Amino acid sequence: MATSRSRRRLWTYGATVALVVAILYTTGGVVSGLRTTANLVVTPFSWSVNAVARPLGHLFAGAVNYSDVVAQNEKLRYELGQARLQADEHWALERQLQEMTTELNVPFVGGLTMVAAQVTTLSPTSFAATVDISKGRNDGVLSGMPVVANGGLIGTVISTTPHGATVRLISDVNSSVGVTFGHGTTSLVVSGKGVNNGLGASSVPLATALRPGTLLSTDGLSGGLFPPGLPVARVTTISLTPGAATYDVALRPSADLRHVLYVDVILWEPST
Amino acid sequence: MSRALVPLTVVSLIIVGTQLAIFTSLRVAGVVIMLVWLWPLVIGLAGYTALGIAAGVVAGLFFDTHASTPFGLSVLVGVTLAYGASRLGREGIGDLDSAAWWVTPLLCALGGFVAPVLFVAFGLLTLNDGLWRGSLLAAMVVNAVAFLVLARPMARVAQSVGRLGERSRR
Repeated sequence: MATSRSRRRLWTYGATVALVVAILYTTGGVVSGLRTTANLVVTPFSWSVNAVARPLGHLFAGAVNYSDVVAQNEKLRYELGQARLQADEHWALERQLQEMTTELNVPFVGGLTMVAAQVTTLSPTSFAATVDISKGRNDGVLSGMPVVANGGLIGTVISTTPHGATVRLISDVNSSVGVTFGHGTTSLVVSGKGVNNGLGASSVPLATALRPGTLLSTDGLSGGLFPPGLPVARVTTISLTPGAATYDVALRPSADLRHVLYVDVILWEPST
Repeated sequence: MSRALVPLTVVSLIIVGTQLAIFTSLRVAGVVIMLVWLWPLVIGLAGYTALGIAAGVVAGLFFDTHASTPFGLSVLVGVTLAYGASRLGREGIGDLDSAAWWVTPLLCALGGFVAPVLFVAFGLLTLNDGLWRGSLLAAMVVNAVAFLVLARPMARVAQSVGRLGERSRR
C-alpha cells in the first residue's frame, strides 16, 4: 500500500517536472523571468559562501604564493612600461591607418565605439565556454556584438539583461568565426573545440599557404558576424590525415581566454 | 517528507551557492566539480527517493538558471541520479550506517563518472549535439574522483536532512 502510494507520488513528481520543463522550453520568456528570479534567490547564498570562503582562500593563496606574486608584480611593471611606449607609437600609426581606411571605405575596428566591461562570472559548467560581463542593454550592448580582450577576439554577446550580458567564448563548441590571413584571399572557418581544447579549423584546402604561427583575423565578409581585422588565433599545428584531401589545423587563440578579467564590447552589429 | 522540504531547499540553495561561488573557479583540469549532482545522489543513496528527486529539481533548477547550457539538463541529471541511487539506497546498499565504509564513496564515484554522460545524452534530446565535443572524458574522471572524496561528508548531511522528515512522520 505504502509502496504503491510512494510510487504514485514519484510518478506525479516526475510528470510535474517533465511538464514544467516542457513548458519552460516552449516559452523562452518564462525562462528569462525564471532565470532572473532564481538569480535573486541564489545570490544571497552565493554571497554568504563567498564572504566566508574568499578571505580563507586569499589567506591560504597569499601564504603559499607570495614570492610568485612579487615576481609577477615586477614583470607587470616592466610590461606596463613597454605597453606605454607602444601606445605612444601606435597612436600615430592608428591615425594614419584610420585616414587610409576611411578613404578606402573599409570599416576598421579602431574607429568603432567600444564599451569596457568587467567579467563578473565564469560559466558554472565545463560544458559551455561563456562569461558574464557587467554591461548590458542599458549601455548599448546587444546580442551578436563581438567582444575583444587581451589582444584578440574572445567571443560574441549571446544574451543581455539591462545591466549585464553573457558572452559565448570562441572556444565554445557552438562558436564558429570566419577568418582570413595574409592578403585575405582565402577564407576559413574557425570552430571552438570546448573549454580545454582551444580552437581548430577543418577541411582546409591543401593549396592553402598556412604555416605554424600564421595569424588568422576575422574576414569581415559582407553580411558576416564580425568586422574585419580582429585577431582570432595563431596556427599551432597543421595535420594531414592519410588519404584526406584537406588539412586539419589546430589553433591557439590570440587572446588568453583563461585569464579574462576586462573586456571591450564592440558596438557593431552584423547588419551595419 | 513535507517537513524535510524546507531544510532540504535551504541546504540545496547553500549547495548551489557553494557551487557558483567556489567550485566554478576551482577547476580541476579545466573541469567544474558538480556538487549539484552529488547532492541528489547522496540523498538517493540514503534511501530517500522523493527527497532525492526534490533535491535534484531544486538544485538543478537554480543551477541551470546560471548556466548557458540548455535549461533543465542539470535537473534531469540530478533526478535520474537520485532515482537510480534511491533504488540501491532502499535495499541498504550505499547507506552509510548499513553498508561497508567504502560502498558509498564507490557508488558516488560511479555516479560522478556517469553523470557527465547523462548530461550529454539528455543534451541530445534537446538537439544540442555539441556537448560531447567538450571535455567529456576529463569531466567524467574529475567528477568521479571528486565524488569519491566528497561522498561521506555529503552523505552525512543528506542523512541529517532525511531524518528530519522521518521525525516529523513519527
